[in-house]
Amino acid sequence: MLAEKVEQMMEWSSRRSVIRMNGDKFRRFVKAPPRNYSVIVMFTALQPQRQCSVCRQANEEYQVLANSWRYSSAFSNKLFFTVVDYDEGADVFQQLNMNSAPTFMHFPAKGKPKRADTFDLQRIGFASEQLAKWIADRTDVQIRVFRPPNYSGTIALALLVSLVGGLLYLRRNNLEFIYNKTGWAMAALCVVFAMTSGQMWNHIRGPPYAHKNPQNGQVSYIHGSSQAQFVAESHIILLLNAAITMGMVLLNEAATSKGDVGKRRIICLVGLGLVVFFFSFLLSIFRSKYHGYPYSFLIK
Amino acid sequence: MAEHHTASDCKHKASSNAGGSVSGNGRPNSPAGCSGGGLSGGLTQPAGWQSLLSFTILFLAWLAGFSSRLFAVIRFESIIHEFDPWFNYRSTHHLTTNGFYEFLNWFDERAWYPLGRIVGGTVYPGLMVTAGLIHYVLNLLHVTVHIRDVCVFLAPVFSGLTAISTFLLTRELWNQGAGLLAACFIAIVPGYISRSVAGSFDNEGIAIFALQFTYYLWVKSVKTGSVFWAIGCCLSYFYMVSAWGGYVFIINLIPLHVFVLLLMQRYSRRLYIAYSTFYIVGLVLSMQIPFVGFQPIRTSEHMAAAGVFALLQAYAFLQYLKDRLTRQEFQTLFFLGVSLAAGVVFLTVIYLTYTGYIAPWSGRFYSLWDTGYAKIHIPIIASVSEHQPTTWVSFFFDLHILVCTFPAGLWFCIKNINDERVFVALYAISAVYFAGVMVRLMLTLTPVVCMLSAIAFSSVFEHYLGDDLKRENPPAEDSSDEDDKRNQGNLYDKAGKVRKHVSEQDRPEEGLGPNIRSIVTMLMLMLLMMFAVHCTWVTSNAYSSPSVVLASYNHDGSRNILDDFREAYYWLRQNTDEHARVMSWWDYGYQIAGMANRTTLVDNNTWNNSHIALVGKAMSSNESAAYEIMKSLDVDYVLIIFGGVIGYSGDDINKFLWMVRIAEGEHPKDIRESDYFTPQGEFRVDKAGSPTLLNCLMYKMSYYRFGEMQLDFRTPPGFDRTRNAEIGNKDIRLKHLEEAFTSEHWLVRIYRVKKQENRQTLDHKLRNIAAKQKYTSKKTAKRKRGHIKNKLALKKGKKLNKKSV
Repeated sequence: MLAEKVEQMMEWSSRRSVIRMNGDKFRRFVKAPPRNYSVIVMFTALQPQRQCSVCRQANEEYQVLANSWRYSSAFSNKLFFTVVDYDEGADVFQQLNMNSAPTFMHFPAKGKPKRADTFDLQRIGFASEQLAKWIADRTDVQIRVFRPPNYSGTIALALLVSLVGGLLYLRRNNLEFIYNKTGWAMAALCVVFAMTSGQMWNHIRGPPYAHKNPQNGQVSYIHGSSQAQFVAESHIILLLNAAITMGMVLLNEAATSKGDVGKRRIICLVGLGLVVFFFSFLLSIFRSKYHGYPYSFLIK
Repeated sequence: MAEHHTASDCKHKASSNAGGSVSGNGRPNSPAGCSGGGLSGGLTQPAGWQSLLSFTILFLAWLAGFSSRLFAVIRFESIIHEFDPWFNYRSTHHLTTNGFYEFLNWFDERAWYPLGRIVGGTVYPGLMVTAGLIHYVLNLLHVTVHIRDVCVFLAPVFSGLTAISTFLLTRELWNQGAGLLAACFIAIVPGYISRSVAGSFDNEGIAIFALQFTYYLWVKSVKTGSVFWAIGCCLSYFYMVSAWGGYVFIINLIPLHVFVLLLMQRYSRRLYIAYSTFYIVGLVLSMQIPFVGFQPIRTSEHMAAAGVFALLQAYAFLQYLKDRLTRQEFQTLFFLGVSLAAGVVFLTVIYLTYTGYIAPWSGRFYSLWDTGYAKIHIPIIASVSEHQPTTWVSFFFDLHILVCTFPAGLWFCIKNINDERVFVALYAISAVYFAGVMVRLMLTLTPVVCMLSAIAFSSVFEHYLGDDLKRENPPAEDSSDEDDKRNQGNLYDKAGKVRKHVSEQDRPEEGLGPNIRSIVTMLMLMLLMMFAVHCTWVTSNAYSSPSVVLASYNHDGSRNILDDFREAYYWLRQNTDEHARVMSWWDYGYQIAGMANRTTLVDNNTWNNSHIALVGKAMSSNESAAYEIMKSLDVDYVLIIFGGVIGYSGDDINKFLWMVRIAEGEHPKDIRESDYFTPQGEFRVDKAGSPTLLNCLMYKMSYYRFGEMQLDFRTPPGFDRTRNAEIGNKDIRLKHLEEAFTSEHWLVRIYRVKKQENRQTLDHKLRNIAAKQKYTSKKTAKRKRGHIKNKLALKKGKKLNKKSV
């Protein structure tokens, strides 16, 4: 009986790194004794109507880990990776009193699962390396995670080079656009505004776009702490910086350009207004975030 | 030409207003002062007046920069007041005491016990040598000054030199007015003050000066094509390499400048001479620093410079062939040649890196490109607050109005591009990227922001102040030709265009009106005034609070000094054996070595992750397991920082999870981070906290006897003010340690590790008791073994046998 179960699991595992399970298979191969192998089970809900986006990401990481184990030289019948989807095994969820997805559980070869056999997804995240560390802790099986090479970066770069090369070739008779100072200046300013508004912080930390108060539904675009920011907030700051910069440029244009005096006077006043007003606005936002800051300009 | 000269005077006035932190009422004084200057300039020596004004403004900028960095010294006293700089001071002290060669060969056996540390070859010696040299010169002149005071005031003094080098660099890029404005900005801008206040004796204090001066000399080299300036650039680069690891920024930005100039088809013989000289001599000089050694030819950080050098040689050779080929042949050969050379260079670097000859990017540099790398693989890098990404609040906090106006300066530079402005554009874009990834690199962004903002403000002031003077000085037109001839040598080579431009627009510009010009000037000066007060407020409130001496403020504004750190270090110095080993987290290692003069296990030079993990494991384990580690490391005392009494958030309990993570990285079987959380995934110090946490050494040492302490009648005994919780284990008993010292506000707690003699004593007593018993039994046995008694005993035995049966 035990030999048959192991043989069946090995056969399934040879076809797919992650064995799909429904209620019957789960009860027979994971819950019922005898069993001398460990089973890692991912409880998930991958169907689109379930709208579980984190389940999809966790599934990708789980696949990477299972493939690393399946194709490693240390692969054996001691450990198997399985998945139970809610739409295929809702009874399993009820049986285990499981009400959240995704969840990773380890069913040890001997004894019942303990508290530590449930992966702490909330705190550790679902990266393959973290899962491998947890599995090593629970089963003594060391899995070296092997990620397939990410060719998307290389492909994107090759595509970009081809596009630029093609563009240059097609317009080889007229390369004046490369010497357009305004275009290069615009590009440089885009980089500067992106960085100074904190887009890199957004990229690394991944904050929400804005915050909606659960009680009254009011949307807040400015984070209350000076140590963090929302994406919407950084977009607002980007526009404010751009407005002030444009104001400075207009001030300079009004004084140096030729043409109608009245028009230049208007440009001058517009530029000055941009600088003064939007700087006041920027200062008031900063003041609302950095508590205790004493200064303000036009806007409190 | 007279109006052009008087315009300069006005710019200088504006600059002094900005730098001197004077009131915003500078506007009414401008016309009178400028008029006077104009008249004097017209009558006597305009160049002399200009030089005097520049000198005065730079002197005032130096004075303002120096003064605004003295808050910490005035409030507390002249000490090194951050964690890291204490090692720099101790090294400098060693240098001045024992000499330069002893410093170079210094093996510090009092650090990283029991490993020790090779100091001479693992530090950038520029800072120590600079301070040591100043100390030597001053004492040579019989100005008797302690090396500590030289170290404390070195950074404020060098802030003046940085202002001057920024002035020189900006003058080369734009004009003298912008240069003076840039000098005033960088003297007081918080982004630079944060690393150069008095008492912050760190590499950045002198390195920013070296950075700006190297860039100035490089720009001069490119403009003149002179070997003299190129060699000057190499010497400045050598000084920079000796001072700070950030020299990598220079050795990547300058080749990037050359590469972009080649792409823009701006090759010139000047560029060839400048870069060839710089690269070769700079490379050889940089390898003289022991800490750098052969890195310039063995690491990826330096390969861009070598690649561009090779490419430049190929490009120059092909240019040389130009004279010997027909036009059509040359164009084809040139394009193919350059592309082929670039490809060969690129593939060569890839091949050398793949074969291991060239080391890949080191962890700290690599995390600037792959922004998620550090958090996953190097917990120590991710645990340092300076290595976090930057929010917009940090940009505004450190730069204020400059962060909004430096894009305008960048716009002006690109619209009026030339060789040296390509450099400043690349400088700005690369620096702003790195500042966005890591908040510490705000330091390298600050100088270029000051320069470009100065260009933007200077441009506006030049247009809105200059025309006023033009109208006020119509009689001066008669001498314009003479002034033009006299000043031509001093003017920037674009001055001719500017003059023509102004003359062409005489009539239209007048029409803008004096009222609008006055309003613009006044509001611009108000913005600069706000910048000045912002800088002073930030310096006073955020960057002049030493980590060593803490201060709290009462409701009436008076200040309470909390001097627990120095109190504890002084106790260690006075009450412990000179060779005692003190275990603590690495944050306090340099201070213990410097102030207490005691041997440390780990310190702020985080070079040995395994050793730090061992200390982390000791702190994270229960008392028995920790005792084994402390015995193996020969620890005499344990020092921890506990902020629960005063609410100090930087204490060891708040750093504890990093200790666990670092320990887990090296000892995954023994230390598991999840054990220190509650089942709900919370880190709690109250009753609901994890039993592993409540029994670990760090928890017991922090809260020993704290359960009896009632800080406020409204809170129960044992209430932790930092975590806002009542501690879970109030009756803590220590078995292997005893409390040796606790500072006034319980901020620093020192424990003595008990020796094994105590246990041996107990064993000895037990043996004595056993021995006595044996002795007694022996005597009894002797009595029983007499012949007669022996027989009787035998008889008794027989009877016993019968009974048993």
